Formats: sequence, structure tokens, C-alpha cells
Amino acid sequence: MHDKVQVKPPKRQFLSPDFVRAMLAGHSALGLAFAALIYIVCLTGTVSVFLMELQRWEQPDGPRVTETPSPEVIAAAVRAGYEQARADNAAHDLFVSAPPRTPQRIMVTYHDHESGVEGDWLADADGRLVTRVSAAWSEFISFLHMHLHLPRTWGKYLVGLTGVALLSSLISGILSHPRIFKDAFYLRWGGSRRLQEADLHNRLGVWGLPFHVVVTLSGALLGLSTLIVGVLALAAYDGDREKAFGTLFGPRATDSKTAAPVPDLAPMIRQVQEREPKAEVASVFVEHVGTAGQVVQLGMHMPGKIAFSETFHFRGDGKLLPDPTKAEAGPGRWILGAIQPLHFGWFGGLPVKVLYGVLGLALTIVTHSGVVIWLARRRDKGRPAPGWEKVWAVVGWSQPLAFGVTAIVALLIGEGRLVAIYLATIAAALVLALVMRDGTSTARALRVLSGLALLGAVATHAYLWWGRIADPMAWWVDAAIVAAALLIALPALKRRARSASLQQFPVAA
Amino acid sequence: MRELLSIELLGTLASTLLFFAGLALLRWRWLQRSSRLLTLAGWLLVGAGIYGYVYSWGGEAGTAYALLALSAVAFLVVWYGLERRVARVRPGREVALEPEDRPTNWPRAIAKSFLAFVLAGVAAVGIGVAFAIHMPLVPTDRIVIGGLLVPTLWGAGMAWTLSDAKLVRATLLLALISAAAYAAAFLPKMLSA
Repeated sequence: MHDKVQVKPPKRQFLSPDFVRAMLAGHSALGLAFAALIYIVCLTGTVSVFLMELQRWEQPDGPRVTETPSPEVIAAAVRAGYEQARADNAAHDLFVSAPPRTPQRIMVTYHDHESGVEGDWLADADGRLVTRVSAAWSEFISFLHMHLHLPRTWGKYLVGLTGVALLSSLISGILSHPRIFKDAFYLRWGGSRRLQEADLHNRLGVWGLPFHVVVTLSGALLGLSTLIVGVLALAAYDGDREKAFGTLFGPRATDSKTAAPVPDLAPMIRQVQEREPKAEVASVFVEHVGTAGQVVQLGMHMPGKIAFSETFHFRGDGKLLPDPTKAEAGPGRWILGAIQPLHFGWFGGLPVKVLYGVLGLALTIVTHSGVVIWLARRRDKGRPAPGWEKVWAVVGWSQPLAFGVTAIVALLIGEGRLVAIYLATIAAALVLALVMRDGTSTARALRVLSGLALLGAVATHAYLWWGRIADPMAWWVDAAIVAAALLIALPALKRRARSASLQQFPVAA
Repeated sequence: MRELLSIELLGTLASTLLFFAGLALLRWRWLQRSSRLLTLAGWLLVGAGIYGYVYSWGGEAGTAYALLALSAVAFLVVWYGLERRVARVRPGREVALEPEDRPTNWPRAIAKSFLAFVLAGVAAVGIGVAFAIHMPLVPTDRIVIGGLLVPTLWGAGMAWTLSDAKLVRATLLLALISAAAYAAAFLPKMLSA
């Protein structure tokens, strides 16, 4: 006789299994189609959070500005920038950024749209231009993140589309996770690689979700801004481009070419500070500088705000211009101001940047583990894809290797051919994969090489700058790169006997 | 010393502890299947932590700091519960659903890509344009919120299109949505001209 077993009817799921399986199929297809692009954009985005620190690392003898610059210092930087721009025949638009926007630095940039000539300088605590900005590697990484070094417009569109694809993956990822709460704290390590990666993928994905959504949505909008916001603004204003952009960004300069004195910034800054005593200058943009039609956009940082600054528009003679957008204190204005700081984590000092770094890395791991899960699932089903396992190992681990190699080259010879060297490094990693046994050994070799390349970058930096480092940030960045190198390489150096946990694509137990 | 004990720092510490306590309760509840009241208590503590950040740093920066800190604390709590396995453990709840197995070919893949990347984008831009033209908001809000809607709807459309096995259904719906959105955006003006 058998005991009677009471079988409980299965609980009705909020999302039906068929729906979840369909979502998983879509999630998987999209993730695979965009995997490499999303991975590169996420990884370079994580590095870009520390762009200003990296710029200081690359030029550690640059002038530091540790006190909040006075209005007179900002005014002096504008005057000096204009003189230099005239000397370089590029006096068209002038931009000055100061702490807190650029920590411990005053940067002066000018640009002439017609000739394409531009200049970037660092100013000292008195507003004098001291040296040209020299940060080839930081620039290389930020351009890789923002437009993949493709022609600027198309590159931005492609990165924006990558953002849309990632946003779509987040949506389908959440919808294909019916046990989102029940499993929220599981992280099982060891045993089946597929389950381990799935746990990591889901936990990092779910608990980092607010961050993932914010950076993805803002990234998609930033990448596609000219397309989306431009089209929407034009549609809302019947194609009147000037009116549309005036509505969004306030008064613009006119095209008058009559010469006029460079605006004196100090009274403008004081005028704003009379109303907002705690406001600090974050940036100054003088559009059509030195002409009768020039307009000053004075960006004043307000404490407790996420936006870099609130913008005040002045005529060249110092008269405050009425800004029609000021009356509209709705969410649109807030979003416009906050979108860039929110995307890059540049709104709360170093602690927020560190958190952005951790969460950015989490998103990068989520992307990487998604493909690892797919490859492991294929193995589980008896349809391994060893070629793709090698390719994915190359995509994943050639990036830190290429970062290290390009950093060494940038430190030694400047801008040079960083894009070509970056691509050559990836190509060399692919060639290496051809002679390696499998994806696991490819990943292991590339991890070791990445660690060596990053340590090489630190050694090169120390060799070149020894005794001349004036900015302590350089030491912190060196330490962070060494830590990253060790984290990447050391697990790959563990003895083979213990390497089961390292295996990238083992057959499930 | 006075600066060290600022309201911001104290608020940050206290709120972060509230996050730890709240997430620990939620973890206990979801792993041990104990009283449902713990879920409520856990979320209340998390809510109190968010309020603490907002109180200390102001609504704008405080909310951003709170969400960042919540994610970081959650990662730590998950990491604390790391379960090391050396051998295969029994299946059961570990077995996740498999993606739907769909035979595919190049024409079908190209059609899907067109739907997800082009038609879903056209529909999303259409809705954004209609929003930017007609919503009773100030112009900046209409344009910027409409702008944010576009990637969100585009992403959602992409997710749905790629998960829907029926190509014709997806095509028809996206075409209908696009037509309706652009008609809503431009027809009133064309008719009144």
C-alpha cells in the first residue's frame, strides 16, 4: 500500500512560463546581437567616470587649484584664453571650466568651427594659462565610450542605439525573472558554472537596477540627442530651429562680426552671487567671443543640486539677458541639467564616483556573464561552440590588455595612432586565441597579459614622471591601476589543480 | 571635529545602517520563508534609509545618493550570503526556465531586426513627437519628457518584438501604433490649415 500523498496545486505564477520563455528568447537574441558593443561601452563608461582623475594622472605636473577660484581669477582665465585663442587664430567660442566641475583644475578651451582649430589649456590659481592639456589616453577612452572612434555623428548614434538595446535588455531581463524577489539574495558559487554565472548576472542586474536604468536611459538620450530631441523640438516649433533651441538652451549669440571687448566676468559672477551667496562658478561659455553678438553663459553650481550648474545668460556688456526657460521650473529643465552628471556620476565628489565605478563594473559583468551563460547552456545541451567561446574570451579580456597597451603608448609618444594600436591589440588577441586550446586558456592568457600591460602602464608612468609628480591624485590612480591589474591577473595564475572555479566554459557537472 | 560630525555624515551613516537592517530582514524573510511582516518591516527600514538620505542631503542629491548606496549595500548583503558549492546540489528550485527554442533563418532574422530597430524606433519617435506637440506642459517639459519617452518606448518595443514569435502580429501592431502616433501629432494641424 502506498501512503496517500497530497499534492498541492502549483501556485499560479504572476508571469506565465510561456511568457517568460518568450522573453528569455528575446533577451538572449538581443544580448547576443549587441553583446560586444554593450560590453565595450559599459567598460569604457566605467573608466570614463574617472576621466578627470585620469587626466590629472597623465599630466601630474599640471597646475592645481585647491581653493574656490575668485571671480577675478575666472575673469583673468577668460581674458588669457581669448588672447591665446587669437594667437592660435581660433577665437570663436571659449569655454572655461573650474572646480567643482573639474576638480582642482581650471581648464580653458577654445574652438573655431570654420577652421577646426582648437586649444585646451590649464590655468593656475591666478587664471594664467600655464600649459596645454596633455591627456591623450583619457581622450582616447572617452571618445571610445562616446562614439567608438567612428565619424562623430554616426558613432554617437551607434552608441545611443546600444543604449536603447541595453535598456531593452533590462526590460526583458526583468520580465524573464519571475522569482525576482525570492531569489534576490542567492549567490551560489561553484558547482555548475551556468548557475553560478546566472546568479551573478541576476543579482548584479537586479540590485543595481536604479543605476542601470539611469545610466542606460541617459546614455541613450545623450547618444541620440540630436536625433530625438532635435526632431521633437523641431516638430513642436514647426521646424523653427532657432526658436526650438532657444527654448531648450536659452538666448544664443548672434552672427555680428563687429569686434567688441572681451566680457568682464567678475561683475557678472558677483551679480549672481548677490542673489545666491553659496553659488560657485562651474563654467563659463562665451559664444562668438570678442564680437558684438557675443553671449556669456555663466554656469553657477548650487549646493545640493545634481546639475553641474544653473545657467545665467549675459550680453557682452554685462547685462543679464532674460531667459524664457527660467520661468519653466518643470522637470524638463531639471532633466536637461542633470542628465550628464547623472550619466557620468560627476555630481557628488569622489565617493559617488567610486560607487559609480562599482556599479558600472557590475553592469559590465552583467553583460559579460550574459554571453557566458548562453555559451554554457549550449555546452549543457551538448552543442558546445568552442570557437565562440574563444571569441568571447577575446572580447572580454582583450579590452584591459588594449587599455594597458594604449596607455603605455600614449604616455610615451602622445596621441600617435592609439586607435590603430587598440585595434591591433585586439587583432593580436584573436591570433593568440587561434593557437590556444580553448576559451578557458585564452581567457587565462589574456588576463595575465592584461595584468602585465596595466602594470607596464604604471611602470612607464613612474619612469616618466619620477620626481616631478605634483598632483597626489597621480599616486592614487597608479595604486588603483595596480589593484586592477592584480585583480585581473592573479586569479588566472592560480595552480591548475584549483582552476576549476576559473574555467570559463566547462561541461556542467 | 565639528565637520566630521556634520548632519550629512551622521545622516549617511544612520541611513546606511537602516539599509543594512532592512535588507537583512528582507533576506531573512525570502530565504527562510518566515513571517510576511518581515517583508513590510524590511521595506519600511529601506524607506526610512532613503528618507534619511533625503533629510541629510536634500531631495535632489539625497535621492541619488540613497539609490546608489542601496545598490552597494545590497551587493554586500548578497556577497555576505555567498554559498560555496563544490558538488552538484539537488536541482529543484535551481532549474531556471529555458528560453523558447525557435528555429530561425536569415530572412526571419533580418525581418526581426527591422521590426526591433527600425519600426519600433519609428513608432517610439512618433509617440514622442505627439507628446512634444500636444501635451499641455511647458515647451521644455514637453520636449525633454517626450525625448525620454522615445528610448524607453523604443527599448520596450524592441523587447516585445524580439520576444514575440509572430512576425505578422508585431508588424501590424507597430505599423498601427506608428500611424496613430503620427496622425495624432500632425493631423490636427493639417486639418486646421
